[in-house]
Amino acid sequence: MAAYVPEDLHYSKDHEWIRVEGDTGIIGITDHAQQSLGDIVYVELPRVGDTFAAHDAFGSVESVKAVSEVYAPVSGEVIEVNESLQDEPEKVNADPYGEGWMIRIRLSDPSEIDSLLTAAEYEDYIRQEIE
Amino acid sequence: MRRRLLRVQRLGRLDYATALRVQKETERRVLHGEQPDTLLLVEHPHVITLGRRATQSAILAAPELLRARGVEIFETDRGGKATYHGLGQLVGYPIINLRPDRQDVHAYVRDLEEVLIRALADFDIEAFRIKGFTGVHTTRGKVAAIGVHIARWVTTHGFALNVNTDLSYFDLIVACEGEPVSSMKEILGRELSLREVEDRIIMRFAEVFGMALSEGSLASSA
Repeated sequence: MAAYVPEDLHYSKDHEWIRVEGDTGIIGITDHAQQSLGDIVYVELPRVGDTFAAHDAFGSVESVKAVSEVYAPVSGEVIEVNESLQDEPEKVNADPYGEGWMIRIRLSDPSEIDSLLTAAEYEDYIRQEIE
Repeated sequence: MRRRLLRVQRLGRLDYATALRVQKETERRVLHGEQPDTLLLVEHPHVITLGRRATQSAILAAPELLRARGVEIFETDRGGKATYHGLGQLVGYPIINLRPDRQDVHAYVRDLEEVLIRALADFDIEAFRIKGFTGVHTTRGKVAAIGVHIARWVTTHGFALNVNTDLSYFDLIVACEGEPVSSMKEILGRELSLREVEDRIIMRFAEVFGMALSEGSLASSA
């Protein structure tokens, strides 16, 4: 099944997306990532106030007895966490760009966004990966 | 495409904590390309490990009983809940870089199951998958458990195959989803040489993952 890649987001090569809103950004994992993981049974997220540099692991997801780390696409401080994933981790599979969002951060360096992939670039990237 | 190389290290009988340090060091070296993908094979003395989702309530036995039976407890970052490792069980820790061509967590776990199913078939044991219950199963119960961790696409932890395992130790915990556990010995009615099972696992691992064994992998010993 071809993965859905919304136009208005920025993407990392670690398969996370970020939706920039002013000086904050909402982060989750891509449709391609959730397909590769399979049914997600557990999501471990950071606390509000934690800070991450770009490419740091900020949490993990568990599926099919595999724990996989997830990485911050850019640097920032966590200002909101999607608590509902504790009881309903399957939202990440069902709606990775919507209800399955993971954290909101305050960007520490908005210029880092420029180094991320556009939707078209990310689509090329996952196509190359598959081939 | 050139086949990737697989190094095999037989650690023999080694305690969990020491083997964990070997895993972490191997993970670091594989991530930085300092050594090829590596399959660690080991037999642990009695130990209960708790995965990310396990709680202490998964351990049914009282601490005194565990001490009396010489069972240690470790919390780990692998997937799954509680499991038991002990003598007579073959534990495999594949430290594999899934980049660039195997970046699919689900496929990786299914491949591990395939390795075990084929190796068991080599001993005339029919084993299979059950959807939603990762691991390898037989009509007598589950013979192999799987629990892995993936960081920067490098895998750690792995699988545990009951060869001659004393299955009474599983009564100390709520293993997996409460499914009965079995062993190759129970199914075949005879003890097997761990070494012989290791050899089949190594062959089948290289086959399923399309890797070439590095020189001496079958002959080498810890």
